[in-house]
Amino acid sequence: MSGAGWRHRAPRAAALVAALAVLAGGAVLAVRFGSLVGGAGAGEAARAGLLKLQFVPGADAERTLEVDQALAWALQRARPGPAGVALARGDGGAIRWRVSFATGGEATVTADGDLWSMRLPIPTDPGSELPPGLVRGFALTSLPEFVRDPAAWQPVTTQSWSEGTRRYYRVRFVGDAGSLPASWRRELEIEIVGPRVVSVRRTVFPLSTDLGVVNGRLYELGVLRLPALIGLVLVFLGALLAGAEAHAFHGRLAIGSGTVVAFLVAALGYGAGAARSTTVILALAAGAVIAVLPTFTELPPGRAAVGPVVGTACFLLVPNLQVVVEGLGGWIPETRPFVDGPSVWRQLHRAWTPALVEEPLLRGVAPGIAAPVFGWWGGALLGAGIGALLHPLPAVPLTAAFAAELVMQAAMVIAARAGGVPAAVLARGTFEALANRPVFPDGTWFDVTAMIGPLLGLGLLLWSRRNS
Amino acid sequence: MVETELLKRRLPRLAWLAPLLLALAVPVPRHQARVAQSPRDAAARAERALPSLGLVRGKLRGWERVGDGWSLLWQPAHGAWLVRAWVPNGPGEVRWRLEVARWLPGARLSQGAAQALLGDQTEPGTWREQLGRRDWRFGERQLAGALPAGAEVPRPRPGRDPVWPFLLGGFLLAGALARAVFPGVVAVGWRRAVYASLVLLAAAAPLVTAVGVRSFQPGVRPWVTQLAFLASAFGVLVAAAAGSARFAPKRGSVAAWTLPLVLAIGVLAGRLHPHPRLLDLAGLGPRLVVWAGLAVVGGWLVVLAAEGLRDLLEPVHAVRPVVLAAGGVLAAASAGPWAGPACAVLISAGIEKGAAMWLGVAAMWGWIVGSVLAGCGWGGPLRDATLLLVAACAVAAHALLRDAEAA
Repeated sequence: MSGAGWRHRAPRAAALVAALAVLAGGAVLAVRFGSLVGGAGAGEAARAGLLKLQFVPGADAERTLEVDQALAWALQRARPGPAGVALARGDGGAIRWRVSFATGGEATVTADGDLWSMRLPIPTDPGSELPPGLVRGFALTSLPEFVRDPAAWQPVTTQSWSEGTRRYYRVRFVGDAGSLPASWRRELEIEIVGPRVVSVRRTVFPLSTDLGVVNGRLYELGVLRLPALIGLVLVFLGALLAGAEAHAFHGRLAIGSGTVVAFLVAALGYGAGAARSTTVILALAAGAVIAVLPTFTELPPGRAAVGPVVGTACFLLVPNLQVVVEGLGGWIPETRPFVDGPSVWRQLHRAWTPALVEEPLLRGVAPGIAAPVFGWWGGALLGAGIGALLHPLPAVPLTAAFAAELVMQAAMVIAARAGGVPAAVLARGTFEALANRPVFPDGTWFDVTAMIGPLLGLGLLLWSRRNS
Repeated sequence: MVETELLKRRLPRLAWLAPLLLALAVPVPRHQARVAQSPRDAAARAERALPSLGLVRGKLRGWERVGDGWSLLWQPAHGAWLVRAWVPNGPGEVRWRLEVARWLPGARLSQGAAQALLGDQTEPGTWREQLGRRDWRFGERQLAGALPAGAEVPRPRPGRDPVWPFLLGGFLLAGALARAVFPGVVAVGWRRAVYASLVLLAAAAPLVTAVGVRSFQPGVRPWVTQLAFLASAFGVLVAAAAGSARFAPKRGSVAAWTLPLVLAIGVLAGRLHPHPRLLDLAGLGPRLVVWAGLAVVGGWLVVLAAEGLRDLLEPVHAVRPVVLAAGGVLAAASAGPWAGPACAVLISAGIEKGAAMWLGVAAMWGWIVGSVLAGCGWGGPLRDATLLLVAACAVAAHALLRDAEAA
């Protein structure tokens, strides 16, 4: 190879190697970090818990995820960093799996696999009734079966009632904060029929300041989402008018691409079980926007391979933002919002629907409309501002939430500038899929779904390299 | 001598202002009771009448016309709770209610304790478990934890199906498209007037947040609510500015006698169906600026929508007057507070393209003035609305006299 040829090729080869390293790094990090909600050992943990109560459950069990989102974030707010996440998975009981056995009996276990609550079918013959004076002592002797620190728990009340011929007892224990933040409180209730424990239930009462901050921020972000939605609607109306004008003057429209994207969005919404009306509206809007994109001639040319690389790089950057905010005395949650009824379709929906619906509007239409007045970058800034208000996490101070979102939006702007709207769509989808991986359960398919972006990036990079 | 002759020839033209007097003489329907006190006076009355709540009430954040009174809202800066009060128009009980963020801690009272706290309560109550307390409700009276939280206050009645706003929005889109395809000659003066109005509205926006009273919530700090309101308002104003640049008003002329006529129709529509939000604006300091700005921007939007309606009716242009007249009757009967803009669009759609900007602005101007004169009974807004009316009459009279001179 001649020296000139080498000098020409070396920077491109270095860029390719760097891009591949970013993709591989992001993929490895996402898989290594794994899932926060766990779920693999939930069935066994529940079975073991029920066996402690001398109940043998059947083989068939249904597993559902239960997340108290506000409690999980309140724990993270009280204990910033990984400690808060660990509490949400464990002693805080914010992330739990409910395992219901087909033969009766159910138990909930935390994401860490600790028993949280249990309920047995009422035995037909529970045995002779305990004398009332012995109930509290019986409950105290049963306590070590259900908690790791029985000494921290004190019985406070004992209730009793009759149903038919049976007499039920409920003993309520109050525990100290334990591993939870100071001023948080734990409670536990044990229900007894005859000489058997039939139900155990734990509850965590958070300090109202922690819960209040999270709830307050959630409400406030909901209020601040309104101007962003208005902005999106206005941008969409602009796109519609531009499309109609282009149609009147026989301008170029991407009807085929629009149709494909509309079908994709509809399929994602249908698969994930999203509301049908919302899915239809989003699909039509996304299709219409993609169809009119060619009328905005200021858009940069398409180089889709840039997208997954930028998206993965953004994913590598985001955890550092949390460290910076916490270093400055603020707080941002470590985890993204959890999903009700997680599935692979929902994982795809959460990552790729915002990418397909929002990115063409924010990175394509908004700069296209605003370019004559503000220039492309001005329009991109407008789009980033609107986007930053759409999905921020509750943070302290509130501006930190928007700052973090703005960094992500800026990365998408860079992707759009370098590789066009397709690159921005791929970047957003890649980022969302990787960043949301921890809130989906253990499982190979969840890993593979999170990997779609980096794998696409790898394929596109190698393909473009081969073509060049 | 010549001047007297000129005056004799011109003055009869001013008879075209008579419909305006007729519109002003039409009695306001009984159910549209005029509010005799400003929202700030109502707030002062409520502050005197409210019991001591045992917590800081905060600043007056906003108001809204509800029924025949004012619904007022106070919220402290931390936003954890808010106080709503409804002050009736005449003498009557001031009703109030405390709304507390659901995460705020408080007592979890038993039914007996809650009944004892509220006094003579014999009926059974219902409770709602919040994150850190239990809220009780006995009939209309409520407790937030252990705090008396007042009773239900009248809420605004949900509007009928919003057909007309959507219809007008559809005409607006059609008009924008028509203007993009057939741009015509821009009326530079009117475009500048729309820009100036938008700038004035943007400048006044920080002082207008009080009318966004429905967006205040317990648990949301008021500055966040106000910021969201302002950001939404600025977004809409910027979009309107971009729209007025892209779909600018067209140049055209109009017969002078139509101006007072359309002004009178606007006044009549406002008197018969005053828009409650225009009355909310009456309680603000910069109301004159806001009303004038809204009239000009609204006039431009009306003209754009009229152009869209006109083009949509092109396939049946032979029967267009009949369709527009029928639409006018329908709007007067069913559009409620939107009757003013709807009639303005229908009238403008009947006029030749490009001539309607004067008419659109006149109709909106009249609608605003009519609404305020019908709904407000205290000094400031009445004075300002009269000022606007006099200004409109002066412009109309000037146009009529000039028309006579030209004739």
